[in-house]
Amino acid sequence: MINENFQKAKAAWEKGRQRYADKIKPKKNLSGIDIKSVYTPEDIEGLDLATMPGVYPYTRALYPDGYALTPWMQQMVFGYGTCEETRVKMENLVAQGMEGYFGHKVFNIVYDIPSMYGIDADHPEAEGNVGQCGVHLSTVEDYDEIIRDWDMETTNFSLITGDNCLPGLALIAAAAKRRGKKIDVLHGNSMNWYPRIAVQDIPSWEPKYGYAMMADLIKFCTNSVPAWNTTNIFMYGLSECGATPVQELAYGLAWGKSVIDAGKAAGLEPDSFVGRLGFQIGIQMNLFEEVAKLRAHRKMWAKVTRDAGCSKSQCMHARVHIHTSGNVLTAQQPLNNTARITLQILAAVLGGVQSIHSCSYDETIGIPTELSHRTALRSQQIIMWESGLKEVADPLAGSYYVEWLTDQMEKEGWKIFNELEARGGYMKGLEDGSIKRDIDNSAYETKIKIKTGKQPVVGLNRYVMDEKEEHQPFRVDYAIEKKAIERLRAFRAKRNGKDVESALENVKNACQKLKDGEGQLMPVLVDAAEKGVTNGEMMEVMKRAFNWVVTE
Amino acid sequence: MADQPIKVLLAKKKIDVHGRGSKLIARELRDAGMEVVYFRFGTVDDIINAAIQENVDVIGVSIMTSGHLPIAEKLIAGLKKNGMNEVLLIMGGVIPEVDFKALQEIGIHKVFLPGLPGETVAEYIKENVGKARLN
Repeated sequence: MINENFQKAKAAWEKGRQRYADKIKPKKNLSGIDIKSVYTPEDIEGLDLATMPGVYPYTRALYPDGYALTPWMQQMVFGYGTCEETRVKMENLVAQGMEGYFGHKVFNIVYDIPSMYGIDADHPEAEGNVGQCGVHLSTVEDYDEIIRDWDMETTNFSLITGDNCLPGLALIAAAAKRRGKKIDVLHGNSMNWYPRIAVQDIPSWEPKYGYAMMADLIKFCTNSVPAWNTTNIFMYGLSECGATPVQELAYGLAWGKSVIDAGKAAGLEPDSFVGRLGFQIGIQMNLFEEVAKLRAHRKMWAKVTRDAGCSKSQCMHARVHIHTSGNVLTAQQPLNNTARITLQILAAVLGGVQSIHSCSYDETIGIPTELSHRTALRSQQIIMWESGLKEVADPLAGSYYVEWLTDQMEKEGWKIFNELEARGGYMKGLEDGSIKRDIDNSAYETKIKIKTGKQPVVGLNRYVMDEKEEHQPFRVDYAIEKKAIERLRAFRAKRNGKDVESALENVKNACQKLKDGEGQLMPVLVDAAEKGVTNGEMMEVMKRAFNWVVTE
Repeated sequence: MADQPIKVLLAKKKIDVHGRGSKLIARELRDAGMEVVYFRFGTVDDIINAAIQENVDVIGVSIMTSGHLPIAEKLIAGLKKNGMNEVLLIMGGVIPEVDFKALQEIGIHKVFLPGLPGETVAEYIKENVGKARLN
């Protein structure tokens, strides 16, 4: 490519810009990588671009034809009120055409924060938050309402839990069993994202126990629920806390490696469980940087998994769910966010991901309205059906800029990854607070860039309008709390008290066994869920056993 | 007293994961010379107890997952009951602008939109600290 004609063209190009070239200021992307105004064949010299989609190292795509066989899964996050309100919302979303691969139903259900951190509706600390920013689910009956009448063979239930991850899986398994199903019929996702406490400030367990529970769930599913996706490597969480795209990439891969290590330490063969790990990745505002990040991510994960001993292709696949960034949205002039969200969906699709949640334009104001939530879904559907984007796999491959940037993201990503690995890896970085420090500092630097106008944000530091926003958010009536408490009390009244007591005793013993490195907790939790033990009751025992701590 | 830095209790519900904004504000208020106690609360009573114990001039509550109205009501009633009538009360986070008026009527002195420079908050505090009363 770099022949005489190119050299001539380049000389002419240099001549053409001579007059003003020194006026063009050097630019950096969000990851701090220097960006030029023009890329040429010289920039991709030496890069190995002789690869195909669906072929190791999967830089171009996981599957040979990209989205041509089936488009990405539309996985809108939803959930509010009790199981009853959320059930209605599920049906609405199905009616709006939200679907996964080959038309299967996919539900990406977010819990309210009391459920996430293991308190039932009647706990004093739940007040004001029950059913507000997610659904309150605490009993096997609640889960029954969620799974009722959906085809269990094909429907995917993604459970956006917090530390109640194990109880959440136990409760849905118990609900399936009550319907006469074997639990191996279950399809869906556990978050199993304990390692996020490296950056997110939430109460949680002591690290060694957090990892032990994570491995316990993986082991349980590997043996008993083979189609269940056990672990979500929550890079979005790193990104929203302030990580730059390259930090998100590097720390996310290190997190993934720490999960593989934990599974191996629990006695599992990598090929038996790594294929059920997946990623949730954020998308910020620099389009090509995000595409390059996603391409580099696939390539790097393929290497990480192969080095860890995986040999099956599905175990080397970085399956990615995208959550468009909530942090970049503005409360000022909220409709502007639709443009941001569209751009982010575009980056995700150009990056070749498997599943997308697109934020709603009014998330900066409150809980999304029916209109904003539907518009976010429709934005995906417009890109899916009107733009022609899904017809061609990895359409930016071969672009001088995108290939160069993919390589740069990879190189810079390995630097951070290898540096952390040399210090002991992700779990060490979680324990010593170094990952948090690094990402908190990036958040601070980003804020300074925005405050000084160096990083433009329309409506916030440019084109500011002094207008009050009269936008009405979606309201979840605080009376929902009473309804949830009544549901819970009615459920408790029906239980066999002795069964509950002995089930909780079993949970306590199983926790101790897990701490001692013997036995499994998950099957005991499923049994407890069947006996009517609630989310909060299981969590209370687990909190005592695994040294629950509130971090700053 | 004049040399004492302004003391701020920055309260955030401990089961709420969205800490980026409030942690940045904490850092920016420290940059502005204030003493900031970053505090994770379970119930509103925890905020009141911490405010009394730390003897703060300002209470800031970060809200990211709803509950701003009931929290504000309980907080103000509790502060009054405990004789903390001169504390400056601010809120920030994902709070609908249409609720700002209701919050101010309950007694919150100022509500801030998300994403604003910490300097905006610091300036407001410097101008109003010591002058505020809970009605």
